[in-house]
Amino acid sequence: MTLLSVKDLRVTFDTEAGKVEAVRGVSFSLGRERLGIVGESGSGKTMTGRSVLRLIRPPGRIEATEMVFDGTDLMAASEREMRALRGQRIAMVMQDPKYSLNPVMKVGAQLTEGLRLRDGMSAKAAREKAIEALEAVQIRGPERVMEAYPHELSGGMGQRVMIAMMLIPNPDLLIADEPTSALDVTVQAEVLSILDGLVRDRGMGLIFISHDLRLVGRFCDRVLVMYKGRVVEELEAKNLMQAQHPYTQGLLNCLPRIGGSRAPLPGLDRAAEWAE
Amino acid sequence: MALIEVENLSVHYGAKGQLVRAVEGVSLRVDARESYGLVGESGSGKSTILRAICGLAPMTAGQIRIGGQPVPTPRGRAFSRRVQMVFQDPYASLHPRHTLDRTLSEPLAIHGIGGSDARVVKALEDVGLPANFRFRYPHQLSGGQRQRVAIARALMLEPEILLLDEPTSALDASVQAETLNLLNRLRAERGLTFLMVSHDLAVIDHMCDRVLVMQHGRAVEELTRDQLAGAQMTTDYARTLFDASADRMLGA
Repeated sequence: MTLLSVKDLRVTFDTEAGKVEAVRGVSFSLGRERLGIVGESGSGKTMTGRSVLRLIRPPGRIEATEMVFDGTDLMAASEREMRALRGQRIAMVMQDPKYSLNPVMKVGAQLTEGLRLRDGMSAKAAREKAIEALEAVQIRGPERVMEAYPHELSGGMGQRVMIAMMLIPNPDLLIADEPTSALDVTVQAEVLSILDGLVRDRGMGLIFISHDLRLVGRFCDRVLVMYKGRVVEELEAKNLMQAQHPYTQGLLNCLPRIGGSRAPLPGLDRAAEWAE
Repeated sequence: MALIEVENLSVHYGAKGQLVRAVEGVSLRVDARESYGLVGESGSGKSTILRAICGLAPMTAGQIRIGGQPVPTPRGRAFSRRVQMVFQDPYASLHPRHTLDRTLSEPLAIHGIGGSDARVVKALEDVGLPANFRFRYPHQLSGGQRQRVAIARALMLEPEILLLDEPTSALDASVQAETLNLLNRLRAERGLTFLMVSHDLAVIDHMCDRVLVMQHGRAVEELTRDQLAGAQMTTDYARTLFDASADRMLGA
């Protein structure tokens, strides 16, 4: 069953220096599965994720021949309809908790704000639900974290707070933009198993945006590899090591490996035709 | 004699009335021209050790010696001639309103070293940045280019020791490869000693001769590169960390 279908998505920024095309004709469809989008910074992977929520500010423009989420045409939806979707049905975990949490509001207040305003919960019930959500992302001492300001949390804690916040309304689709890049390998494994459980138990769809090819290969079902705004390769995650495209191969080869040689790591020679 | 000696170092500080034991009785020795890694999860105290060496974190107990001499407090100029640090986040560690020229020539001015014009040009060249970047601001550079500037800045005073705090964790895979190659080249050319923090075992394995695994502010286990590659760790925690990095193995 298709949850989200995107055809020929384009994101263009009209700048003084001319048009900058951040995303150039990306198509994919997503069921209740884990789709990974990998690429380097500037490859358009974040813009692709943000487009689904129509979170691109002018001078940026989104164009697509089709962008349908669970029967709703996202291109034709009014701003009011989009607001009803955002957070409730499609949630997004942003990359950097330092910039995405409100710095002058306690974590507890931020977590309960939506529950109180949108769902009209009592302060006590909202607080309980928020603490439950923090426990679900393996935060030790959730009461203490509720009373903390974002700057008092480490990167890993902040990221888990973000994930907890996004999961409270039980969305159908979660777009996670580098949700674990600030985390250590051991914590990363925990967060991934939380996300994994949600996909399996709640039947949530997940778009997992990351620059970490190995992580995506291990965690996702399918992978889109993006380069300069285009999808250069789409493949089953388990076949990642047999990637055909030289860009994907280059990305894999430039990673150091435990027990590998100490020779200089191969760089990535970018060929102009990859961007075609 | 080891170049860097850290003996029973403890760093405690009070936060909100609670005593935080960031580092608890950690000892390590790094020989001259060696590359030594510290690995562990966030909050394990690995960065705090680097900060304590630089005087950016308070030493509660223990001793730090560089070349056999206890470090003075405050660290002073002689110390910064020998020891320099590269921080994790190149977006936060460069002054946003200083051009690269100013960032790179400031240490020279402080230490009264002449010929800054030629030295800045040379420094840019050494880290592989075009000379015409000299009067740019950090926001006009990519993350990898910024980290190169941070490395160039640390090398301006020609130190013996570089303290590297997750120097590539904010960078893309291909840029990480370039930066690691750059650091290895500079170490070989200049005979530098590295004390490097990372949470990525593969990066540590690629860069370091020995590694100290840390957890909750304590040293768990010290491994040589061969022991790490051969999975010959004796503690459960080092094993857990290794298993979590299984996708970073050769052949994976």
